[in-house]
Amino acid sequence: MSQSATPELQTSRLPTALVNQDPSVAASDARKRKQLSRLFFWLCVAIASISVIVLAVLLISIGVQGHSRLSADLIANSHSELEPETSGMRPAIIGSLFVCGVCGLVALPLGIGTAIFLEEFKPTSKLLRGLHGFIQLNIANLAGVPSIVFGLLGLTVFVYMFNVFGLIQVNKPGGWEWFGAKHYYQVLSLEPGQTILIPQSDLDKPTIKIEGPVEAVDADGNRFEVRTWDRKSGPKPADKATRMRTVKQGAVGGSYSQRSWYYFRLPFGKSFLAAGLTLSLVILPVIIIAAQEALRSVPPSLREASLGLGATQWQTTRDVSLPAALPGIMTGAILALGRAIGEAAPVLVVLGAAIAKNSGPQNLMDSVVTMPVLIFNWAGRPQAVYQEVAAAAIIVLLIVLLALNSVAIYVRNKVQSY
Amino acid sequence: MPASKDSSLPAALQKRNFRSTASSEFRERCVVAFLAACGLTTVLITVCIVAMLVSQSWNFFQSEHVSLTDFFTGSEWTALQSQNLANAKFGIWPLLSGTLRVTFIAMIIALPLGLITAIYLSEFAGTRVRKTLKPTLEIIAGIPTVVLGYFAILVISPSLQWMTGGAFDTFNATSAGIAVGILCLPMVCSLSEDAMRAVPTALREGAYGLGCTPFETAVKVVVPAALSGIISAFLLAFSRAIGETMVVALAAGTRATATLDPREQSQTMTGFIVEMIKSENEYGTVQYFSLYAVAVTLFVITFGMTLLGQLIRRRYQESYQ
Repeated sequence: MSQSATPELQTSRLPTALVNQDPSVAASDARKRKQLSRLFFWLCVAIASISVIVLAVLLISIGVQGHSRLSADLIANSHSELEPETSGMRPAIIGSLFVCGVCGLVALPLGIGTAIFLEEFKPTSKLLRGLHGFIQLNIANLAGVPSIVFGLLGLTVFVYMFNVFGLIQVNKPGGWEWFGAKHYYQVLSLEPGQTILIPQSDLDKPTIKIEGPVEAVDADGNRFEVRTWDRKSGPKPADKATRMRTVKQGAVGGSYSQRSWYYFRLPFGKSFLAAGLTLSLVILPVIIIAAQEALRSVPPSLREASLGLGATQWQTTRDVSLPAALPGIMTGAILALGRAIGEAAPVLVVLGAAIAKNSGPQNLMDSVVTMPVLIFNWAGRPQAVYQEVAAAAIIVLLIVLLALNSVAIYVRNKVQSY
Repeated sequence: MPASKDSSLPAALQKRNFRSTASSEFRERCVVAFLAACGLTTVLITVCIVAMLVSQSWNFFQSEHVSLTDFFTGSEWTALQSQNLANAKFGIWPLLSGTLRVTFIAMIIALPLGLITAIYLSEFAGTRVRKTLKPTLEIIAGIPTVVLGYFAILVISPSLQWMTGGAFDTFNATSAGIAVGILCLPMVCSLSEDAMRAVPTALREGAYGLGCTPFETAVKVVVPAALSGIISAFLLAFSRAIGETMVVALAAGTRATATLDPREQSQTMTGFIVEMIKSENEYGTVQYFSLYAVAVTLFVITFGMTLLGQLIRRRYQESYQ
């Protein structure tokens, strides 16, 4: 700065005001600049503390709103329209676990594989380099796509499969059923409260009218002949076993399907499988980017040593790079799964906003409720009771996320200590 | 080999058996092919997104009740309100203006606050402050958006109403915008901080050596040097705010209005998609396909933002060796 004017400068042709700068002006100028700097520092402190305050307000307000509902009911019960006081989120917790399980099983191998391909197998040929660059660009773009667009993709591709298999209709086994489903007609027997199952041959016929003897199956899967009974032919059979195998002449049965847990069909419909696959698309870019970072941070000298010993590229990756990068990959994967648990929009689009469900999924094609969707539904209701239950459910969700995050932080610290 | 049996080599070296390299080379190729297939899946996802958006919104624009000019210029959106197709109006402007209102408010909050917090973290903060501030930001970044939406209904909206004496609607663009801003803040902060940390210390030392104050160093040297990274962080936050769904579905309201008043309800594009899904409108109607037309608009905007951000970062990033 020009406060201390040197003798050479004084002899130059500059105006004296510039050469002999007034020391008091220079001092006040410096003071002002220092003040501004200090002011800015405090502004920074104030603004940076806003985020802490916001977080505190958020946690406290939700805690105040929901603490009274934190009880065993919340974990043990399911949603109830009639008794909102005892509504719970058990199906939602199970549903979230299932959806995130599918999501992790699909997204992790796919994401880590892509990251390995991009980081460890850098090709030399121009064409393949172009492919690499294109995939990289594509991943960066996918990371910016809103999750609800992924939700619509899941709805179109997994739920309806572009309607290749025909439109899905309610209460109708749509699409191509592969295995795990048995279709019956259910007919009331003469014994009150008992039904007889008759195997269904024509799936398009929703009801059956029993005019003559037909074949049915009992609980053990054995076939037997159903007898018919008419008021004209005498009194009802006295024997209970016989009554259970007899139906009224002209009785009507509706279709009924039994589904094992491995029931599978195409398209997936509004199933937890479709929701999990959709969520895996949402977190795929996150996992890829995290795994790439982890692989990039493995020192090249390790790889070079391995390659120098004659190991192939894949052997080097499998035995040297991957083990070294694993903690980083795991941290990224856990954080991504945490995001998947909290993600509501894609699940909402794929499964719909209905929450009336009182158990977890019964088969692969069963729909579920997840925690964020349940919270969204409850929080959107005007009744104060549901608002409180929503806050309590949020506390449960945040605790789950916090547990996941602390696992991730633990893993990361473990790495840093090496 | 009988010939080498009587040589003086140790037995272990004599009996070396080499595995066939042909089979392991084949295995290697299989692995590479599998990994490449993983990589191509991501390309397939993009192709599927574009194919879905084009093919499904084609169904919408095909309809005789819809025209492209009405879609881009119309100021009424009544896809959900009017069950009768003849009365339904499909003009994207109310939804777009709702989205922009919420996004604008979010950006007013997230960009300055995020940038200043980032400057503080990278230039001023000591290790102890960093150790509390960083995890706080990470926790905020990890909060599910549906929770922030609930926070907007529970706290932000009532306090806005209380402060202005009831001038705000229960559901309004401002409270949704504030919540989205909170959501974007950690992202802006961490990305800008990364960009500023990449600025070499020599530049800062040069500025200090010339007599700059910390404020001048931060604002006149570090921020301009990191500008490309900061701008691409801003663009990312912008596209994130446009695509944000659960907050606006809960807190912004369900009436599509084409005003500039931030106190009123405003349905955003994402909010409309959620309402449409909730309404369980039948698949195949024009109203249903309007979903995809809205999604195309959303996708085009966010995709453009991401591309622009990458372009800026690649072209204007200053690299320090």
